[in-house]
Amino acid sequence: MDATPYAPQRHINDNYDIVGFISSGTYGRVYKAISRRTANQPAPIVKHPSGRTIEAFAIKKFKPDKEGAELQYTGISQSAIREMALCTELSHPALIHLVEIILESKCIFMVFEYAEHDLLQIIHHHSLLPRTPIPASTLRSCMHQLLSGLLYLHQNWVIHRDLKPANIMVTSSGAIKIGDLGLARLFYKPLHPLFSGDKVVVTIWYRAPELLLGSRHYTPAIDLWAVGCIFAELMTLRPIFKGEEAKQDSKKAVPFQRNQMGKIGEILGLPRKSEWPLLQAMPEYPSLQTVSMHNASVNRPVTLDKWYRNTTGSNNYNAQTSPPPDDSALDLLKKLLEYDPLKRSTAEQALKHPYFLGADGTGKPPSWNCFEGLETKYPARKVRHDDRLQQYRDNFGFNSLLAQAIAENVLPPGLEQERMLQVHARHAWNLAVDSPKREKTGAREYEVLNEAWGWACLRFAEAAGEWRLKAEFGGVDNVGAGGAGEG
Amino acid sequence: MAANYWDSTQAKYFTYTKSELASLRLALHPNTNNNNATNPPFPETRHLAIYTLTNLTKFARRQTNIRQQALATAQIYLKRFHLSVDVRKTNPYLLMATALYLACKMEETPLHIRLMLSEASRHWTELGVSETSRLGECEFALISTLRSRLILHHPYRALGELQGVFGLGVEEQALAHSIINDSYATDLALLYPPHIIAITAIFLAVVLRPAGGLPAGLAAHAASPAVGSSAAQSALAGFGGLKQSGPKLAKLVDWLAESKVDMKAIVDATQEMVSLYECWEGYNEKVVKDAYAKMLKDMK
Repeated sequence: MDATPYAPQRHINDNYDIVGFISSGTYGRVYKAISRRTANQPAPIVKHPSGRTIEAFAIKKFKPDKEGAELQYTGISQSAIREMALCTELSHPALIHLVEIILESKCIFMVFEYAEHDLLQIIHHHSLLPRTPIPASTLRSCMHQLLSGLLYLHQNWVIHRDLKPANIMVTSSGAIKIGDLGLARLFYKPLHPLFSGDKVVVTIWYRAPELLLGSRHYTPAIDLWAVGCIFAELMTLRPIFKGEEAKQDSKKAVPFQRNQMGKIGEILGLPRKSEWPLLQAMPEYPSLQTVSMHNASVNRPVTLDKWYRNTTGSNNYNAQTSPPPDDSALDLLKKLLEYDPLKRSTAEQALKHPYFLGADGTGKPPSWNCFEGLETKYPARKVRHDDRLQQYRDNFGFNSLLAQAIAENVLPPGLEQERMLQVHARHAWNLAVDSPKREKTGAREYEVLNEAWGWACLRFAEAAGEWRLKAEFGGVDNVGAGGAGEG
Repeated sequence: MAANYWDSTQAKYFTYTKSELASLRLALHPNTNNNNATNPPFPETRHLAIYTLTNLTKFARRQTNIRQQALATAQIYLKRFHLSVDVRKTNPYLLMATALYLACKMEETPLHIRLMLSEASRHWTELGVSETSRLGECEFALISTLRSRLILHHPYRALGELQGVFGLGVEEQALAHSIINDSYATDLALLYPPHIIAITAIFLAVVLRPAGGLPAGLAAHAASPAVGSSAAQSALAGFGGLKQSGPKLAKLVDWLAESKVDMKAIVDATQEMVSLYECWEGYNEKVVKDAYAKMLKDMK
């Protein structure tokens, strides 16, 4: 422990073969993998606790906080620790299943059971032309499973704090799996107010009004608001409150999210003291008055009823083949998108709602397979076999890379800068349009330029011949300072 | 899990019988101290645990951000760790600092790694580590050995729930709390569910307070045992005869009789605590400190 360096008991490359790259974020990257098989040895069979065999894995690799030439032990981030501890402790059919955690090469690898789809992808698929609504039975099953998983979390004193379509996985057999517990935390008798730990939680479009109004204490009700937003999005295939995030200024003060509050107000109207008794106690209550000055339509809100009529009327539902959800769906939605967190439906109450169990509460709950009776087949998750650009940017960032390339005068010969921009801008544009995350930033031009440069730089990297998925995955140390390479 | 101890990794993977604990430890270090001629003998497990407890407590006094619960969590991490790795093969100061660093994160009261390291090296001159990466590396080893099972159930929660049931006074609550703090010097957290330890602490507090005339208002961060050995002995006697039976004790006994609480476990836990306080009288910090110093020197 003192003199001997840390040596892992299991090695990621001894146990898994990487198939490709799924996605990346601030935390690190996610890869798809299968059990490793060699010439002499068949792949070991990994079983889920329920007995079924796990065919494929999603491996989440946390990158260390500090980036730079040489990887160092920097202390594991709060978010990684939470996700590791919670996923190890929790187990529920509607929660993503953790297979194991391997700590190796100064990185953390969390091995999860692979899920073929997620709700964002399913929404995206339906929004492609010809636009088709998500079938009512699928919707009901998704919501029921999601709420079941959420009830389990809340009963175990866990708030998820980042529910959104992209974080809700769907397996090929139609099972919903809540994922990404990086922001989730226990809330039983917190030693400090929840606000003091993480100033900003939940992706802006799904953020509950009490959070937007700066509440120092909040409850699992914030997850139910997000569920309401997801419910609405599954019906219309677009986010119901698609606001723009006000960025944190240099003073580190958390800004009031006026635009987002306005988007909610456009449909629900602004919250009122009569409906939400504690409203005046919210730190941002004074700012609430300024919302209508910037966005007058909050004074003539659409109302959820009208929003729902528009949705069911215009969403290509077909009375015979694919009828819209019945009006109990609207009632549940209203109860989830309730301003006052004390009045908002809990997961337990929502599961008993007539939408799931019929008006008399005796109906059959929806299937655990949200694809049951469906003929449509959803496309499989995109697995990129080439994530070099991403690696490149993750490891160096765009500017430092360019700076380095210029400094060392190693831009590939014959590829002058303008030319590179031109060639790669189109590709970059496609990437930018394709990615809902980038769409949000609104700074497309910058992104495009950035991507183009990234690709340009990738060419340089290719020339250096050092970016191999496998090598990068296994030996992080090899991907050191740009030029060194593996050999 | 967090709501249900019985489904927790603590119940499933980290609860042992006494003989299991003994054989795990024997496997790590076959020549246990007193039988064999290590010279001078290595201090007994409980003295090492008292050393950890008092050192962490003193450490936390200087850092207002460290809570009792994080101290408790750190101690359990160390206990579990030392069922797989012999203390004689470690740097106990680095491990204490790392366990506390990790525990603070788990209890959502994080301390920056640099602050933790600088405080630790100021507090323990023996630490011998000056780079944060060493602490980070030790964190990897700790988490890997504990297999990421980091969420714990402490008796404090059961104490909070039960103090109303038994109508404990302020002093009794404080005493029970301190007794729980002391319990981390024993193996109780590896043997019994947290409510057993909480009830044991309540029992001891109720029996002792009127009889023992203890100093009121024991600080939660006390670095000395909450209870004297002789007082603890009399508490044990109280189990049989219940001679000082006040109304509170009577209520407690009735409640226990009606409940499904494992009485054998309560009796055993009480004995463990009493024997801890006896053991504490023979504890000398310097002996452990010197033993560690020699151990670290031999390692080099």
